[in-house]
Amino acid sequence: MKKRTVLIYIILILLLALLVIININAGSVRLSLAEIFKILFLNKGEMVNSTILLNIRIPRIIVAIFLGGGLALSGYLLQAFFSNPIAGPFVLGISSGAKFIVAILMVISCQYAFSLNSFSLIVAAFIGAMIATLFVIVMANKVKNMSILIVCGVMTGYICSAATELIVSFADDSNIVNLHNWSMGTFSSVSWKEVYVIIPVIIFGLIVSIFLSKNIEAYAYGEDYASSVGINVKNFRLLLILVSSLLSATVTAFAGPISFVGIAVPHVIRNLFKTSKPFIIITGSFLGGAVFCLFCDLLARNLFAPVELSISTITAIFGAPVVISMLLSRKRG
Amino acid sequence: MSKLLTNNLTVGYGKPLIEDIAMKVEAGKITVLIGANGVGKSTILKSVAGLLKPIKGVVTIDDVNLSDISSKEVSRKMSLMMTGRSEVEYTSCFDVVSVGRYQFTNIFGKINDSDKKIIEETMKETGAFEYKDTEFSKLSDGQKQRVLLARALVQEPEILVLDEPTSFLDIAYKLEFAEKLKRLAKDKNIGILMSMHEIELVKNIADMVVCISMDGRIDRIAASRDVFTKNYIKSLYQIDSKEFDSTYGFIFDKETENFNSNSINASTNIIDSKNSNKSQDKMNSLKDKVNDENKISKTKYIMVQGTMSSAGKSLIVAGLCRIFMQDGYKVSPFKSQNMALNSFITEDGLEMGRAQVMQAEAAGIKPSVYMNPILLKPTDDKGSQVIVNGKAIGNMRAREYFAYKTSLIPDIKKALSKLSEDNDIIVIEGAGSPAEINLKENDIVNMGMAKIANAPVVLVGDIDRGGVFAQLLGTIALLEEDERNRVKGLIINKFRGDKTILDPGIKMLEDMSNINVVGVIPYMDIKVDDEDSLSERFNKKVKGLINISIIRLPHISNFTDFDVFEQINNVSINYITNPWEVDLADLLIIPGSKNTVADMKWIKESGMEVAILKYANKDKPLIGICGGYQMLGESIKDPKKVEGGFDITGLGLLPVRTVLESDKTTSQVEGKFVNSEGIFEGLKDIKYKGYEIHMGKTISFDNINDFTENKTGFCKGNIYGSYVHGLFDEKEVVTTIVDSLAKKLNIKLDLEKVTDYQSLKEKEYDRLADTMRGFLNMKEIYQMMGINND
Repeated sequence: MKKRTVLIYIILILLLALLVIININAGSVRLSLAEIFKILFLNKGEMVNSTILLNIRIPRIIVAIFLGGGLALSGYLLQAFFSNPIAGPFVLGISSGAKFIVAILMVISCQYAFSLNSFSLIVAAFIGAMIATLFVIVMANKVKNMSILIVCGVMTGYICSAATELIVSFADDSNIVNLHNWSMGTFSSVSWKEVYVIIPVIIFGLIVSIFLSKNIEAYAYGEDYASSVGINVKNFRLLLILVSSLLSATVTAFAGPISFVGIAVPHVIRNLFKTSKPFIIITGSFLGGAVFCLFCDLLARNLFAPVELSISTITAIFGAPVVISMLLSRKRG
Repeated sequence: MSKLLTNNLTVGYGKPLIEDIAMKVEAGKITVLIGANGVGKSTILKSVAGLLKPIKGVVTIDDVNLSDISSKEVSRKMSLMMTGRSEVEYTSCFDVVSVGRYQFTNIFGKINDSDKKIIEETMKETGAFEYKDTEFSKLSDGQKQRVLLARALVQEPEILVLDEPTSFLDIAYKLEFAEKLKRLAKDKNIGILMSMHEIELVKNIADMVVCISMDGRIDRIAASRDVFTKNYIKSLYQIDSKEFDSTYGFIFDKETENFNSNSINASTNIIDSKNSNKSQDKMNSLKDKVNDENKISKTKYIMVQGTMSSAGKSLIVAGLCRIFMQDGYKVSPFKSQNMALNSFITEDGLEMGRAQVMQAEAAGIKPSVYMNPILLKPTDDKGSQVIVNGKAIGNMRAREYFAYKTSLIPDIKKALSKLSEDNDIIVIEGAGSPAEINLKENDIVNMGMAKIANAPVVLVGDIDRGGVFAQLLGTIALLEEDERNRVKGLIINKFRGDKTILDPGIKMLEDMSNINVVGVIPYMDIKVDDEDSLSERFNKKVKGLINISIIRLPHISNFTDFDVFEQINNVSINYITNPWEVDLADLLIIPGSKNTVADMKWIKESGMEVAILKYANKDKPLIGICGGYQMLGESIKDPKKVEGGFDITGLGLLPVRTVLESDKTTSQVEGKFVNSEGIFEGLKDIKYKGYEIHMGKTISFDNINDFTENKTGFCKGNIYGSYVHGLFDEKEVVTTIVDSLAKKLNIKLDLEKVTDYQSLKEKEYDRLADTMRGFLNMKEIYQMMGINND
């Protein structure tokens, strides 16, 4: 491996570690390092602090890491699928599609008072994501122009969001707040129960992606070329879209739609590593997504504390300019 | 030895684009697809490579059907280099090439040391090694192609498929790339299949060329020497304003028109090359017999041979025929064996070479198959359809033909003696050069033929291509003693400029060769019908004040019907194949057809039908001749299976119905236009002269006006149909038609000088004869034939 590659991996890991520490520490309740140490390793300390740390902050950090990584990875897979660096689950409306179905499920569950488990959330989000994805694929076959495809995706997102709003209007008042928060995107309100679901699903997606990296590399040179070196392109594309949808659906199911991570992170990672090797981009994006989301979550929680901003607001502030600069620097549509 | 074959392959996106492709790619050989943009070369390549499912047929490598094995296995046999490359940023050339090792690396695509070695060595071979660490997207197009070639090669394929690999390269890279492919094919024993536009390169590197015509047919699969003839390339690409130089493969602007390229004849000699010794004796005895007969016969012979192809033999033979005819002799042209693609069908339905038809016309006699007893029509690189006395006797491989050839000598002899019965003089044309010393044995087209007929020979050199003295002297020097004695005169052809400069050279030439130069003939531009002018005519597109468009049916026949219009300035004749061209016509003509039903089907399928109906709806004039007339009607029925037994509905523009019959109507006709209505009203009572040649009867079932006499044609509004060929040939007919069109379009044309077709052609032949008379020592020519006419 090249020196540069190793160096950037190390920097990313250090950044991640640093952010984890800051995130643990930061919040309305300041915890000193000594106290954290005590709670974590000696099982001592104040009851309240221990609860805050173990049941709120640490799960939230883990969720931010895995969902952030998963989201960036999902974006990269979509980019590979569409051979378009501006593709991502949010701009293509896939996140919003997932949101829509999850919202329906949530409203129904409130109405009929049954509780939702993580699994059914993921399934609902996955269904929504797949519906939106299929729609985008149909459009992609019609319009070859990348920018127009993105516009179509954004419009799809708006339609789904509008429909979601409509459903929310019919929900009971008491549920609206919760639903509203979720639909803006947030890492709050996660517990260990969800962490146990999120980690295996995202890790699964990551491993499958790594195994696909050789195919992704050949596919980057065109569908015809990929099939000429012996790739079953149809199966490969199907797998790619399934994994990508699974990842973005999982993120949406637990944190709501989070914007621009899927596009901005792989792009920045590609430019940092100065390579297009799928293996490096996949792992790098995963780390980068984790770092980025941890950072954004940190800001979301602390910027206007005690008011918590939606995570999407922060990711958009950092992510959207990256996407705009990409659009501007592209020579052709 | 691996070999890729396609069998009965039909390709296309959903709907068949090109059908029935049978080609092969052999290990170590290069097969190239040529044809205009968009005819489907890439589609064929994609289908062969398995990227596109063939509609029909199979692709096999070493007898393994590619659709029976997985794409993984296919990729071990065949690699691909297509146009339109996706670029991946931040990727070094080495990385690009390494993707080609896909099948060899582990699941993570790890490049191990042996992969690395192969990649680096291949990059060295293709010349890409020096920029292996450079980012791919920063390379020039030529450099990129080197990298992509390396990527295709590290796949270690048996067959390499390339789609226009040289298209974006500058000339230096083009040449280098082509050379590289040629070497690779040989060194690595890889079979290469590719498409290419640079025909000058194809000529150099292709072992086999697959030609796809503008209408999406596999027009020819042949060795490159049989493809790169001037007119073939021009017709394939439908270029008119440019010339293709078949010797060097250059395309250049047409400034001077060369008449009558004979390049195809070069290959005639190759067929003559081998012959078993056994047949030698047999042949000699045959020759003796012929010689005996010739002694009795009073017929005089003269033979015209050339120092090279395209020296202008055909036209000189035509000119001599005309001169002898003018001098009161009965004369006939003769060429023992022709190799040509386009043949002429005589009135009896027999096939012969077009050049002899033109020469017969110059001689003022009807063409007969005896003038060209053997006709070879190439079918692929190694085989030909052999036509003897106008009838196809089968397809033969070159080798088979060598063995068979000797048995055709009686046919040559018979043809010659048949001609001598009716003629005083026979002018024999040779083929290629008589001095192909490797091929001389058992020759029956050049000196061998001269010996059979015991004819004196005049040798024609082409000064236009340079080195004329060396051509003539060299040819003579390479002849055997007895052959040299046969050469009685030399002709320098296609001369331009001041002859006095040439004179000292001529003197020396005569001294050295002991043979007189009997003429220095200037460069002539004569309009005659031969194979070359045919394709030129079909492909030219010009716009005049009046546009007469003739639908170029796939089986078009009797296209000379419309030549008479070409003499008028500002009237353009176009042969059209695209529906959108129909609307540009001021007069649309549907010509005769050798297969009316098939061509009617083509009209329907190509979208021509809609275009024609739209055109007719605007009340613009439409004329159908013979087959075209049948198509104008309601229906064409074929109960006796004359053309395959299919019934087809026609255009429905004339209320007539046609039933095809097995009897053929062949007759010369004369008559007057009857009740022509519409725009050509003025034709009424004007005389026409022509001939009918068709199968079938057409009857009207409505009360419509007769157009030509004896129910041979009807008209309704501005739609006219007639069975009569040569209908327009008379001066009055052609002027009336053009005048009516001019009036309608409100333009004035000078029609004073218009003559009828026959005299138009006659004028050209007379001009040819006059020119040649002025520059040939005819007295000496008569003397060498043994005729003294002071």
